[in-house]
Formats: sequence, C-alpha cells, structure tokens
Amino acid sequence: MLSIKNLQARIGEKEILKGINLEIKAGEVHAIMGPNGSGKSTLASVLAGREDYEVTAGSVEFFGKDLLDLAPEERAAEGLFLAFQYPVEIPGVSTTNFMKSAVNEIRKYRGEEPLDAVQFLKMFKEKMSYVNIDQSLLSRALNEGFSGGEKKRNEIFQMAVLEPKLAILDETDSGLDIDALRIVAEGVNKLKSPDNATIVVTHYQRLLDYIIPDFVHVLYKGKIVKSGGKELAHELEERGYDWIISALGE
Amino acid sequence: MLYKELTSASQKEAIERFKAKGFPTNKWEEWKYASLKSWNEKDLDWTPAALNETSSASLQTQNGNTSFHGTLPAGVEFISFDAFLVANPTIATKWEQRFPILDQNSLYDLNTALVVNTQVLWVKAGVSVDQAITHDFILSAAQASAVQSRVIVYVETDASLTLIERAYTKEGSAEVLSNFVQEIYVNEKANLTYVKEQDLAQNTTHIDHTFITQLSNSQVDLFTFSLNAAYIRNNLHFYSDGENVVSNLNGLYVPGEDQLMDSHTVVDHRKPNSESHELYKGVLLGNSTGVFNGKIFVRPDAQKTNAFQSCKNVLASTRATMNTKPQLEIWADDVKCSHGTTTGQLNDEALFYLRSRGISLANARTLLLLAFVQEVIDRVTHQETKLRLTDKIISKIQTSLAI
Ligand SMILES: Nc1ncnc2c1ncn2[C@@H]1O[C@H](COP(=O)(O)OP(=O)(O)OP(=O)(O)O)[C@@H](O)[C@H]1O
Ligand SMILES: [Mg+2]
Repeated sequence: MLSIKNLQARIGEKEILKGINLEIKAGEVHAIMGPNGSGKSTLASVLAGREDYEVTAGSVEFFGKDLLDLAPEERAAEGLFLAFQYPVEIPGVSTTNFMKSAVNEIRKYRGEEPLDAVQFLKMFKEKMSYVNIDQSLLSRALNEGFSGGEKKRNEIFQMAVLEPKLAILDETDSGLDIDALRIVAEGVNKLKSPDNATIVVTHYQRLLDYIIPDFVHVLYKGKIVKSGGKELAHELEERGYDWIISALGE
Repeated sequence: MLYKELTSASQKEAIERFKAKGFPTNKWEEWKYASLKSWNEKDLDWTPAALNETSSASLQTQNGNTSFHGTLPAGVEFISFDAFLVANPTIATKWEQRFPILDQNSLYDLNTALVVNTQVLWVKAGVSVDQAITHDFILSAAQASAVQSRVIVYVETDASLTLIERAYTKEGSAEVLSNFVQEIYVNEKANLTYVKEQDLAQNTTHIDHTFITQLSNSQVDLFTFSLNAAYIRNNLHFYSDGENVVSNLNGLYVPGEDQLMDSHTVVDHRKPNSESHELYKGVLLGNSTGVFNGKIFVRPDAQKTNAFQSCKNVLASTRATMNTKPQLEIWADDVKCSHGTTTGQLNDEALFYLRSRGISLANARTLLLLAFVQEVIDRVTHQETKLRLTDKIISKIQTSLAI
C-alpha cells in the first residue's frame, strides 16, 4: 500500500531524511527504531504532509497515488493516520467537536452520507471502549491539561474512529503507565485487519511485546541502515545502536 | 453645511463647537487610525426623513427617532428626556456633570446640536424586568445623510434590566453616518445586561458613544459585537462612581474586507473597592483594520480597585492590521490592575493537526477562529441572541475564508 523510494527531505538548510526506502503491504506491522534525532518523527511528518519540510528528492506512493501531491486532509481521507509524538493543545476545541467534522469531511470525500448526532454517539461510545477513555476527556479542550498518558490514549481513540488503512504511531508508548500501555496496545491490535498496516515508531521493546512487528527498521542519520524481523528489536534492546553504527564504518 | 433652525442656546453652542472642529481627522490623537475626515467634504442631508420600518422589537430607533411598541413592562416608563427631567428635578443638575471625558469628541457636540428626539427608558426602583427588552436601531436614507440618535437608560435602585440592541441598515439605503449617543445611569444595587449587535451595511459608518455611570453595588455586563459596516467606532465609557461596583466589558469585532472597527474604551474608577473586567477579542479578515484603545483610570480615592483588561486578536489574513494601545493611569497605591494585548496568526501546529485528521484548511481555520471567539460569545446568557450571533459569526468567517 505504501512505497517510499529514495525519500529526501530537509527543513531550512538542514537535511534530515537522506534517502529512505520502505515498502509496506496490507496486514503488516513495521517498527521503526533509532537514536534520538535520527529522523523518525520527520519521516512521519513528511508522510502526513507537514508543510515545514521540503521534500528534495524521491517519491511516495500510497495505494498507487502520489502521496506527496496530496494535502494533509486528503491524505487522511485516503486512509493515512498519524498519532503524534507530541499532540498539540488546541484551546476551545474538544475532541468530539472536531472529530465530528473530520469524520464527515472524510465521508464526503469518499462520497458517503454524513453521520448524524445519534450515529456519532453510538460510534464514539464503541470506540471509547477500545482504549478505555472517558467521555469527559473528549469534551474538554483538546490536550489542554491532559496528562501525558491521556494525550496518547486520545490519539488512539481518534485512530479508532477514523479506521485508517495506514497508521503511524510515533512513540505512542512514551508517557503511558504499564496498564495504559497494555490497553492502548490492545486497542491497536483490535483495529488490525488484513487490509490495514501499522508503522510503530518506538524506542523500547516493551510495546513490541504487545504489537508484534513483522519488520524492524533502524533509522540513523536520515537513512534506514538496518532491517530485520522482530528479533532485531530484542537485539537492539540488549546491545543498543553502537554495533550497527560502527558496522557502518562511521 | 445646512442645519435646521436651532432653538436652544445649548444647541447653538454645541453646533458652534462642532463647526470649529469638524469631523475628527487622523491628526487627532484619538482618531489616528479611524479618521472621519472625508465626511467634512460631503454634501449631507442632516435631517433625513423619518422611517416606518416593520420590526418586532419593543424599542425602536428609526433614523434617530425612538419609540416604544407594545405594552411597557410593569415598572418601566418610556418618556421624553425633557419630561424625565421635569419629573426628576434633582437629576437635572447631576446630569450636567456626569460625563466629563469628552475630549476630542466633536461628534458628541454634533449630536447635542441636531438630535431631535431623546427618549428615556426608565426602570423604577426595585423592578426586575424579567423579559429582555429588544431594541432595533434602524438606518435608512435616500441620499448621503448624517443621522443623530440619542437614548437614555435610567435604572433605579435595586432594579434590573436586559437590553438586546440590534443596529442595522435597511437594504438599498444610501450612505449614512450614524452618530448614536447613549447615556446610561445604573443606580445602587441595580443590574444591567446590555448586548449590542452591530451588523450594518457596507456604506454605513456607525459611531456609538455609550456612557455608563454606575453607583455602589451595581453590576453592568456589556457586550459589543461588531459584525459589519464600513466603519464602526465604539466609544464606551464606564464611570465607576460607587463602591463594590462590577463592570464587565466584553467586545468582539470581526471586520472583513474594506472594514474598520475601532474600540475606544474608558473605565474610570472613582471610588474604592470596585472591579472592572474587560475582555476584547478580534478576528481580522481580508484587508480589514482593527483598533483597540483601552484606558483605565484609577483615581486617588479608588483604593482596592481591581481592574483587568485583555485584548486578543487573530489576523486571519496577511492583509489585515490591528492597532492596540492599552493606557493605564493609576493614582491610588493599593490596587490590582493588569492589562495584556496580543495579536497573532493562527497556530500552524494546530492547523496541521486538524488537517491531518481530514479537516480541510478552510474548515480547520474556521474551527480555530470559532474556538477563539467562543469565550466572548459564551458569556451572553440570552440564548436566542447567543445562537444568532454564533450563526452570523460562523457565516462571516466561512465566507471570508472561502474566497
Ligand atoms: N522544525 C525543525 N527545525 C530544525 N530542526 C529540526 C526541525 N524538526 C526536526 N529537526 C531536526 O531534525 C532531526 C530529526 O528530528 P526528528 O524529530 O525527526 O527525530 P526523531 O528520530 O523523531 O527523534 P526522537 O527519538 O528524539 O523523537 C533532529 O536533529 C531535529 O533537531
Ligand atoms: Mg520523534
């Protein structure tokens, strides 16, 4: 569904992504790991369409469409979802409020009928149970005064509502307590199907104990320098990144 | 200029003062951004014809002519200012010295000279008017005109009143300069809630002078929603002339293409132990201009005053400009005062977040702008008015962003 070829991107004068290649098929889970500052969030942002980054080379195809040619909202409507590493606070806008707009705009894009208030209520209720999130949180101004864990749960709630084809979870595990980690991971697993795929950006094995990856990639200085199966994550947990970096001859 | 025959000495003096100064120009400090200079050269009809528009409002000011329709609520009188002064001889002397801050305001003189029909809405002591009184302020002219209007609101001790004003121009009207003076007196332990909706035509210039005196233990919640007109100037003055007075000033202006909206507010604390809270917000669309000038005076006697002022603006277009100037003059030492003004663009991070969820750029911007203005709208307790204002503001923002 997703095909990234030689993707290069920069912000200002700073080159961040230096030639990423990645193929993702329906049903797969890919983990992306790598040291701080290696470009993981940048890759996620470029895929979601953040305009601060300038793509200088390469291509990204999503279900055969040129993803880079689409506005962020079109990418969402095509089925891309990003769970933010740092979800923004939006004073005065509640989750339920903007998610209603989001769902109906996406439905419109796809030529589907809008949902009415009753249908929303029912759907939200069901999706809330996936991540064990409380209605009161969804009625509050988005992320304003949310705890770290509440922010992440809210991201996964939104994912549950939008049912993306490709979800990118950028360090969704950070800030979650042990129980919340399990609940959120179970929520993600519940949404898994043979038709969709997930990219999990994480620093730790523990999330991958729940969301088991088919592939693990190491991103270093803007390139994928190593890929492997789920055992690679275990190895990284034990040995860190030094052995990979030194093998690069740097 | 041709004026009608002026009879009283005070009118004659007023017109001489106006003639000496003319309409404010941008050389006047208080009118720097909002000059009315071009009106000095216009050939104006100074006494536009009376109107007879249909309106469901109880109180109607049609081209400066104010009347009351329907049954007056119990304990409310509606009489001419002259009759009011005869009925209240002690007030007459007080009236002369009640509003001293009229510097650079030649328009007040113009109004005094030419206004023909000054009426008083008078709420008697202890009377709580439970239904809001609606006030339609309607303008319409066959040729370029200047319209003078004046309304007095007198709320006696322990009384309470809610007023909902809607100022608008009749469709097809020629250019109008509307010069509207309101003098409001809120006595001890009285309450007034006043919502002003200014939604006028693009060829209307609307100048609103609202002067409010408050005595001890009174509360006024005033809202000014400036939605449309080529030019709106609000001179809103609060004279806090008692103890434990609460003055709440709320303002929201949404100027669009070729519109200018200017709020000049004065809160004058003259006695101890009172508070004022001023919250103004602006969304500036198109090539519009906004002006906020907020003065707070705390007189030497006004110890333990709490006076707060906040003015926040979003430039929703790169072509819009906002000018802000808070002015605090504090002569008492034991007071709590704060002020803050901000002007900025919408947060890019927030916009990207919403778009990443499938919301179009225009809708994401509308959502954020509505969230921004909601704080002011939400303070309106009159439900019908709140909904109407919300609808109008949404549609104005949406239309502007869709271009
Ligand atoms: N807006 C920006 N301006 C300047 N530099 C940026 C900007 N965004 C990212 N960078 C830089 O790009 C590099 C990659 O950042 P990115 O956030 O993608 O790293 P990451 O792999 O997600 O790191 P972490 O594991 O800490 O989340 C960093 O050096 C970062 O400082
Ligand atoms: Mg990151």
